[in-house]
Amino acid sequence: MSEEFNWLEYVEHEESAPEPERRGRLSRLLSRRPCLPGRPRLRLPRLRRRFRLAGLAFWRRRPKDSAPEQESATSLLDQRAERPLEDLDERLQFLRERSISPSQPSADAQQALYEVDDVLVTPEIAQKPGGVISAGALSKAQRQQVELLQDIVGGATQAEEPAGRRFLPSQALFSLSAAPRMIAAAALLALVSLPFASSDFAVGALPPSEFPEERPGFAAVYEALDGLTGSDFALVALEYGPAAAGELDSLADLVLRHVFARGVKPLIVSSNPIAIAHARNIIRAINRSVAGSGISLLPGYDYHILRFLPGGALGIRELNENFADVVKVSAKGISTGLQLDSLDRVKSIVLISDSAETVRNWAEQVVAASDNAPLLAFTSYSAAPIAQVYADASAEILGLVFGYRDAYTYGEELQASFGGVPPAPANNQSSADGTRDSQANQPQEADAMGERPQATAEPAPTETPLPSATPPPTATPAPTSTALPTATDLPTATATLETIVIVEVRSPQQVRIRRGPTTADDILRLAQTGDTFEVIGANGDGSWYQIALANGLEGWIAAFLVDEGRTTRAAFEAGRASASARSPTERVVLERGFLLSLGKNGPRFYQADAPILSDIHEFVLMRDRSQEAPRLEAMTLGTLAAVLLIVVGNVLSAFGALRGRADPNDRRGSFDD
Amino acid sequence: MDETTLQVYSVLFVAITVVLVYTARFFQTRPGRRRKQRQLDGFERIPTWTTRSIESNRPLHLSFGGADVGGEGTPAALAQAEFFHQVIQGAKASDATPIVTMSAPATLPLGQATLRRAWAKGGTAARAQWIPPDLAFAGALTASMDIDEPEAHILAGRFGPELALMLDGANRRGQPSLAVSDRLDGQAVAYALADHVLIGEELYAAPGYDSEDGRGHGDTAVLDVWRALIIAGASVLLLLEFARRVALLNWTLVLAAAAILIVLGLFFSRRR
Amino acid sequence: MRRVGGGMSAFVAFAVGVATILSLLLGDNPALFGGQAGSEELARRLALPGDVLLRLVVIVVALSIVIGVANLLFVHVGRAARGAFTSAVVLASFAFTIYWYVSRRGDTSLLEAVQVPIESALAALLFLSLTLGGARILQKRADIWGLLFVVVAVIVLLGSIPLAELAPVKALSDWLLAIPVSAGARAILLGIALGAVVAGVRALLGQDRAFRG
Repeated sequence: MSEEFNWLEYVEHEESAPEPERRGRLSRLLSRRPCLPGRPRLRLPRLRRRFRLAGLAFWRRRPKDSAPEQESATSLLDQRAERPLEDLDERLQFLRERSISPSQPSADAQQALYEVDDVLVTPEIAQKPGGVISAGALSKAQRQQVELLQDIVGGATQAEEPAGRRFLPSQALFSLSAAPRMIAAAALLALVSLPFASSDFAVGALPPSEFPEERPGFAAVYEALDGLTGSDFALVALEYGPAAAGELDSLADLVLRHVFARGVKPLIVSSNPIAIAHARNIIRAINRSVAGSGISLLPGYDYHILRFLPGGALGIRELNENFADVVKVSAKGISTGLQLDSLDRVKSIVLISDSAETVRNWAEQVVAASDNAPLLAFTSYSAAPIAQVYADASAEILGLVFGYRDAYTYGEELQASFGGVPPAPANNQSSADGTRDSQANQPQEADAMGERPQATAEPAPTETPLPSATPPPTATPAPTSTALPTATDLPTATATLETIVIVEVRSPQQVRIRRGPTTADDILRLAQTGDTFEVIGANGDGSWYQIALANGLEGWIAAFLVDEGRTTRAAFEAGRASASARSPTERVVLERGFLLSLGKNGPRFYQADAPILSDIHEFVLMRDRSQEAPRLEAMTLGTLAAVLLIVVGNVLSAFGALRGRADPNDRRGSFDD
Repeated sequence: MDETTLQVYSVLFVAITVVLVYTARFFQTRPGRRRKQRQLDGFERIPTWTTRSIESNRPLHLSFGGADVGGEGTPAALAQAEFFHQVIQGAKASDATPIVTMSAPATLPLGQATLRRAWAKGGTAARAQWIPPDLAFAGALTASMDIDEPEAHILAGRFGPELALMLDGANRRGQPSLAVSDRLDGQAVAYALADHVLIGEELYAAPGYDSEDGRGHGDTAVLDVWRALIIAGASVLLLLEFARRVALLNWTLVLAAAAILIVLGLFFSRRR
Repeated sequence: MRRVGGGMSAFVAFAVGVATILSLLLGDNPALFGGQAGSEELARRLALPGDVLLRLVVIVVALSIVIGVANLLFVHVGRAARGAFTSAVVLASFAFTIYWYVSRRGDTSLLEAVQVPIESALAALLFLSLTLGGARILQKRADIWGLLFVVVAVIVLLGSIPLAELAPVKALSDWLLAIPVSAGARAILLGIALGAVVAGVRALLGQDRAFRG
């Protein structure tokens, strides 16, 4: 085992062939299979059969376009088969003769083959220690060439390799070859799975429930997000792909819940197109978790997913340079209606990323240009050491939060801060909205809406939550359960109790429903007074609602022509099914949709003196935490096992190296150089 | 340091580099005056691999990773294009066209141009392949290790931890590898798992290892000059800090520390 | 002709490169021009070429994804025609995803149902690869550097384990990460930055092979 491995010798030992003295390795190879002496012709029929059997009848696959004069090596070989043996070079004849009857080399043969053996020395092919497949294994093309050569010189081939078998037995004593490798992998996986199966395998302490004092940046990040109010903007950058989703989704989920709980509408951006699509799904998951409480986040209304920023670092730079343009278009290509002239309008910039370079890019390209918003960096565990260096050196980065363990601490703090206060049900009687009444006198023509000024001058005092007098809507189960009007992504399990935002047409005249949120867009259909529609979105300034039409289409309707309210989906369906239940007061149950009812006609976040929206506890409280502890314990066990494996593997390797058995210099020296 | 000062320094730095590059070229392109390149294990392996690729009729696999033209990875992508050009030229007697892969679509035209220019045989377009980034990239390359049976992998550009999957796959198939990344996590993985590594600025030194191109020699010479200056500057600052810490400028002590630093520097520079 | 073309592209590269770098360095910073009247306007004008060129880059990069997808299809159609099963799967899933997205009006649930789990599984494989690879470092590099690498890796891994018994190791690990590892990382990054500057200057001067023809 200690000497270099020679695969030719290896095969020979297997077959216990007698080892002739003073022979080169090639002749030994050729003599390995006993052949009848004096066979007159090359055995080409056999060669053909073998190739056919192996499915390698390549001479039949000669390219059609090859010119007749460009003969392939195979066709030359075929021609040679018909030629007498005597046409072979003299030395090849002797070589063949000797290989057939190795015991009696004639004097002529010895003379002719003088020095040939030296030339024909088989290269030493060493076994790669540790590799499952040796680098010495031949490629398909090489194997074919070896077989051809052996047929030409009439020698024996080595035993037929089964198809696909290119393995050589591992020679390195302490290598992690196939079997140990699989065992190690299986053991690692089993160990990591244990905490999910039983709580008896809880290993290691859970992360602290409070921010560690030695990392002031951590607490600062939390405080910065906690200090946001409903009138602020938070830019949330999701800069990670699906590969990091397993780790970073927990942080993204926490950040978004925190932001939503503060009543802030996040502007979600990314230079990664997949992250944009993934962001929708994260919010969808948040929606599912809070569906029981009747809250439902709406795109373009409670949050904005902005268009993808192409060009990596340059795209991030563009966000800074052309912020006003970037925020105008959503990921779906429609107008957000947001009119923010610069980054200074943003109160916090949150970055969730799996690479330290992205943190640096954001700090340099975006945050440095903003006057008042620091960067709150959330990274994966692997990016943290370098990101921490940037965070320490950069004035723009307020703090760094990373990995599962920080996510746990963050969640604990969030729970403690929001969990102490029970969710206060507060109903918003939007039908009593005086602002809306005043707007009823506006021109009825929706076309005027496109140019409607921002509602900044029009604070909506009636949007303050009123004390609740109405029982929660979930107490009114649906008598019927008709199919959903649109193919929305909401879970059917909660469909009947799920609260949706609806609008009812109150204009006495027919109202136009358009393809987009401007008066320039095509008219899809007309709606009558009293028609109700489910709201599925809104443009940024709240001047247009995106609604679902009964035929599965989506359309836009000007906000000042309709009343907004909330109801359960079941009640909505029932109302739609029954013409007698047209009165909205009968079926629309208005409840605490305060956060989500953006306001009938005005964007809340433009109203500097609008009431502060906060403390929507459901976002924090209705969070599935069942897997948190097992996941952390699995990580601890996995790390322990990995350390063990690395130590043992390397000790064995070092031991082997010291004894000269796994000298890495031997590994390739023989065939690399 | 305020922004203006920083900009002035940046302009100065680039200007000095331009002057240095031209000066170095002036000397290096003259026959007989070319300096001997530092021995880098990774580059020395290349001729062996190209020879083996020719002999075995198996392609070489060259990958830019995520080095993106038009983004941060532009210099890395350009430097690697030069490196790959030399490798492909060495292997062009083979019938197996090298495979060039990348995960940044903007690098695809660069990869195709490199292949076309160096290979100079027809039908090479499909051998420059774009694969979606990160783990999908690693997964697809691992699968292609069985399909294309590459002779060796040269993974030079921008890689993250996903490099581990590729290198592990190559290891198990006995396909040797050279890896270098301009991302630190990828670099650490490369060091642990690749057969041969380049580190840091060696990623950009490839043009200097083209024996026909004296200009490339000049560029690596400039790299060496800057590196030496930075090391010297850092060492001086370290010494001064050391002197400040011991509260008095004890010159004997400072000189002793300097001597130790120089000896260590010589030791390490010889080891590479 | 080729030489002429190479010369032209080298000149264009040089002109565009110099314009961009000057624009970025001098633009939008009136202080550079003494901050007097008119300096603001001058700085703004100087910033313009850089901005325009970089926006062009963003557009080109955004369009390049189309080239990438076309290449992917081209490669896999060729392979599938030669009987490669995996390529056929790639093409089929490409067609199915497009159909799904269009027919369900932008539904991205396939992303959650297929791509995220698969990539997460690959990330788990990464853990295995790294661990098993880590166990063989000394086989690959049986020298002092390999040993150092393993020792540091083990210390940092141990330091990340939340066990009270490992508190001293955690202190050592924190120190390692804060001082030597951070220093080493900065050194490598400095080297990369230097290399990037030289490679950039090389391209700027039109000496890159892409411009030499």
